Amino acid sequence: MHRFLIKTLTFACAGCLLVLAIALIPGYLVSKLSKFNIKKDDTIVIFGHSHSECAYDDTLIPKLTNLSHSAESYFYTFQKVKKYLSQNPQITTVLIEFSNNQIAPKMDDWTWGYTYMSNMFPQYASFMGVSDFKVLAQHNSKYFMNCIGIAARSNLIKAVSFNYNYTGKTGGYFKIEGTKPLPATNPAGQHIKASPNESTISTTNIQYLRKIIDYCNGMHKNVFLIRSPQHPLYEYRSNEAEFSLIRQRYFSDIKFLDFNNFPLKNDEFADFGHLNYKGAIKYSTYIKQQIMNGMLAPPPTHSVKSFENRQLVTFNH
Amino acid sequence: MLFNSFGFGIFLIVVFALYWFVFNRKLQQQNLLLMAASYFFYACWDWRFLFLLIFSTLLDYFTGLKMYQAKSQKLRTFWLWLSITINLGFLGVFKYYNFFAASLAAVCANIGIHLNPLTLNVILPVGISFYTFHGLSYVIDVFKGRIKAERNFIDYSLFVSFFPLLVAGPIERATHLLPQVKAPRKFDYQEAINGLRQILWGLFKKAVIADQCADYANLIFANSAHYSGSTLVLGAIFFAFQIYCDFSGYSDMALGIARLFGFELLRNFAFPYFSRDMAEFWRRWHISLSSWFRDYLYIPLGGSKTGTWLKVRNTLIIFLVSGFWHGANWTFIIWGLLNALFILPSILLKTNRNHLEIVAKGKALPTAREFMQMVITFIQVIFAWIFFRADSVTQAFKYIGSIFSKSLFSVPQLDVSREQLLEVILLIITFIIVEWQGRESQYAIEKLTWLRRRGYRLAFYYTLIIVIFLFTGKEQQFIYFQF
Repeated sequence: MHRFLIKTLTFACAGCLLVLAIALIPGYLVSKLSKFNIKKDDTIVIFGHSHSECAYDDTLIPKLTNLSHSAESYFYTFQKVKKYLSQNPQITTVLIEFSNNQIAPKMDDWTWGYTYMSNMFPQYASFMGVSDFKVLAQHNSKYFMNCIGIAARSNLIKAVSFNYNYTGKTGGYFKIEGTKPLPATNPAGQHIKASPNESTISTTNIQYLRKIIDYCNGMHKNVFLIRSPQHPLYEYRSNEAEFSLIRQRYFSDIKFLDFNNFPLKNDEFADFGHLNYKGAIKYSTYIKQQIMNGMLAPPPTHSVKSFENRQLVTFNH
Repeated sequence: MLFNSFGFGIFLIVVFALYWFVFNRKLQQQNLLLMAASYFFYACWDWRFLFLLIFSTLLDYFTGLKMYQAKSQKLRTFWLWLSITINLGFLGVFKYYNFFAASLAAVCANIGIHLNPLTLNVILPVGISFYTFHGLSYVIDVFKGRIKAERNFIDYSLFVSFFPLLVAGPIERATHLLPQVKAPRKFDYQEAINGLRQILWGLFKKAVIADQCADYANLIFANSAHYSGSTLVLGAIFFAFQIYCDFSGYSDMALGIARLFGFELLRNFAFPYFSRDMAEFWRRWHISLSSWFRDYLYIPLGGSKTGTWLKVRNTLIIFLVSGFWHGANWTFIIWGLLNALFILPSILLKTNRNHLEIVAKGKALPTAREFMQMVITFIQVIFAWIFFRADSVTQAFKYIGSIFSKSLFSVPQLDVSREQLLEVILLIITFIIVEWQGRESQYAIEKLTWLRRRGYRLAFYYTLIIVIFLFTGKEQQFIYFQF
């Protein structure tokens, strides 16, 4: 028995060390050698989830790179922001999509639910700090362990193939053609479909949005929260009161560019939450114009009010 | 608590330490510990069904004793049938009631009678098919006088509920396991190392091959209407490796764990995909179940020592029952029927015992003829697996219909990257090579005679550990837990 224990323990310890080395060494290489480059003359970046991913056609907006990625919670955006800002000193302005569903509890699932974590964690694990690991381990320890293996595999492949380039793999404008059948008339005043549970919000997502803002401020960047257009029937609009409260309580120091009610026809939406290509062209062209008009000028020269107070003759139906 | 979970690892270490260091003085204490650990293990799945397990154990324990004490054959027969009826009754209620109710309603609907059958909203108790068969084999063996009735409840209970085999077998026989339960056990270094090695191989098969193949097989079967014939063939192949590695991986882990406690369980798999005909396949696939049906059903029916039509009847019965044992669905019954049809020619031509030894024994490679025989057998097996995996008979027929189309000769297309697909295919090829090299052993890496130096063998084990670490994704339930 003594012999068995000694041999088994020695074998197990050596195995653990080996596994640790396999997990850490490629991870370290990825963290040191990874490249997150955007075009040299692009000074504005936008981060967010699928709403902004489908809304900003960055080929139509000069000096802007869309780095949004669908189903990305702020937890993973934070890791991305750190790398992009540190490797691209030309960036002066950071836009962060902030819309109704980003306070919803489903953001927790986007952070540590297995499907999302196994997809996003391997991509960004090398850039995370201990506190970030703790968040995942505390909320989903079982699958977090599995995801460490997946991340190690992903890093090992990058290290073996000397492919540390993240450019183009972390998001970008996503073109959607066509539209799902949506109501034909403007349903203003109609009852909204679903009502998210009012007592629950994703505190982790809100905390990480704060972290992103603080990091950007620390890097002396102009930061804006921006809400891209949502269909009037979009279910998450029903948490507007909560959304406004959170924005005022935690992010009142950050300018909020609100294009929630930007006038779009039904055939300019892919679905209630996303613009299709037609809508993206219309909206991106407008944003381009607004940027040229000084919308993103550093404070206090320009004050941005909510979109509904602005007059947009050109886009009226 | 899955064998491939972190929680089970902790459980195993604790039970192992208590078993060999605290309760190692007395056999009864060791058995009591294993029984308690097994009940705890089962309760982790669903504590409510623990009562069912205990009831089933008590039933067979007492009927065994009553049969043994009974003075007349009539009374012995009464106790035997009481046990069989109640055991199969439980299985029927939990596993088959809804199927029979729905099937009856469907038949009645065809003749214009519309029934609204009462269906039970119950979940299937995990392992019920396995421990019911343990109990049945015990009472039948006591009835036949092959074994004495067990007087010690703890020993009998451990035989039924020993945690490595409780939820998915191997289906043990009282004649094989009970003597081991009653014999004093001494720690055997070689056996323990052998056990750990078998656990490692089982884990590799399950966590790496089966779970990787599962992702693709699930994807293809779930969207079978949208894929080309060649992709559907690929899906069936992925499922063939998924189910083999899932179940044989589980069995390897069960056997390995049992070895750590000084037990040797029945072998469940013997490289079935290297079979040269279907008869050989069934001697190598889920051996504990096929031999159970052979001994307790096929032979009592007359086996193959009867006339031609009885042989056909017996073969059909055993395979239909085997299919039905897997689940209350017509897909399993057709799967059983297909296997019966595949095996019948060899039984009728008396060639079913042509291949008793493993293929190419003592040789590096098979002959061209052997290779072709293996390929043909594998194709038959895959064809039958389509019914086993499909959600319904209709889906299975549509799946097969789509395979035999022009697109069979196109390049398979899946919504995953080529690299990912290549990764899995490479893993499967490596796995086949290792299995082939080790086919003369109890399990593929038992001896590793093709790796002569100890250093190479160690490197091989560490490679397995690293691959398991890198490829372990979300824990997937073992397929056979649902049976």
